[in-house]
Amino acid sequence: MKTPKLRALIHEEGIIFSFSGLISQSLTSFMNEAVKEQLEELVEDRNTQKAIFLIIAEQLQNIMSYSSNKQVGAGQKNVSPGSLLLAYDKEKAKYYVSSSNEIIEEDKEKISQRIDLVNSMEKSELRKFLREQLRTGENKHDRGAGVGFVEMAKRSSEELIYNFEQIDGKLYFHILTYI
Amino acid sequence: MENLIIEATTYTPNINFDAVNGELSISGKSYPENTFEFYKPVNEWIIKYLESTPTKNINIKLDLEYLNSSSLKAYFDMFDSFEEAQNFGKIIEVKWLYDSEDDITEETGEDFIEDFQDLNIELVVK
Repeated sequence: MKTPKLRALIHEEGIIFSFSGLISQSLTSFMNEAVKEQLEELVEDRNTQKAIFLIIAEQLQNIMSYSSNKQVGAGQKNVSPGSLLLAYDKEKAKYYVSSSNEIIEEDKEKISQRIDLVNSMEKSELRKFLREQLRTGENKHDRGAGVGFVEMAKRSSEELIYNFEQIDGKLYFHILTYI
Repeated sequence: MENLIIEATTYTPNINFDAVNGELSISGKSYPENTFEFYKPVNEWIIKYLESTPTKNINIKLDLEYLNSSSLKAYFDMFDSFEEAQNFGKIIEVKWLYDSEDDITEETGEDFIEDFQDLNIELVVK
């Protein structure tokens, strides 16, 4: 792509922030902060700002925790390849957050079941379900409380949209959340 | 017992636990990569403190602006410890601070009130 067109393209697509590559904890923190600053400028409603921020934090956490091809990068830090996008859908007049990462085949069923479950719940049920899960620690694992999708569903204005895609023998998980 | 003081970073809150006066305060943002690693010493300090301190009245001030879901888990565990201590005779007062425009933080406070009915939790607008 020729550089002079980049700005027009980004504007056309409503892209606010995007990243694709190796994601580490320091980069995650940096992205969270960078997005937060953007949101404070762009989004007037404080609760929308926060909902977007929280969804991004959960999606980045998911990439860090569940990528099938975690690597040890420079300085022996864990890095996980993945993509993240924050954009504005002009037709719907809504912000959305989307992310992609490679997962292992065994996690596919678990992820589908989990998202289908939270998609079937009303907001008030999600609120209760999240609390139950946090109290019992039912889905807790060594890196988190196992409630990322519940939190995302709670903060989103529509169902969580997801799919799996085979590319060159690798399995990718994509998720999109409207705020 | 020694006080517990941890300085805030961009993604972890400031922890200021004053053992003598029974004033425990946490403020800031919380979305660390490994939440359990960050909160383990915090929750361990609280459990040990509640078991050993002669101080009867304990005041807790929580001013948390951004909490990811795994941090939230750490606070549920913390409230479990507070509730247990309360049931064993301590007088625990929790103040949950939030900005008047911030419905998400207010709602989180309401969830704690509903889930920990033995505890005295007060929602306070900053």
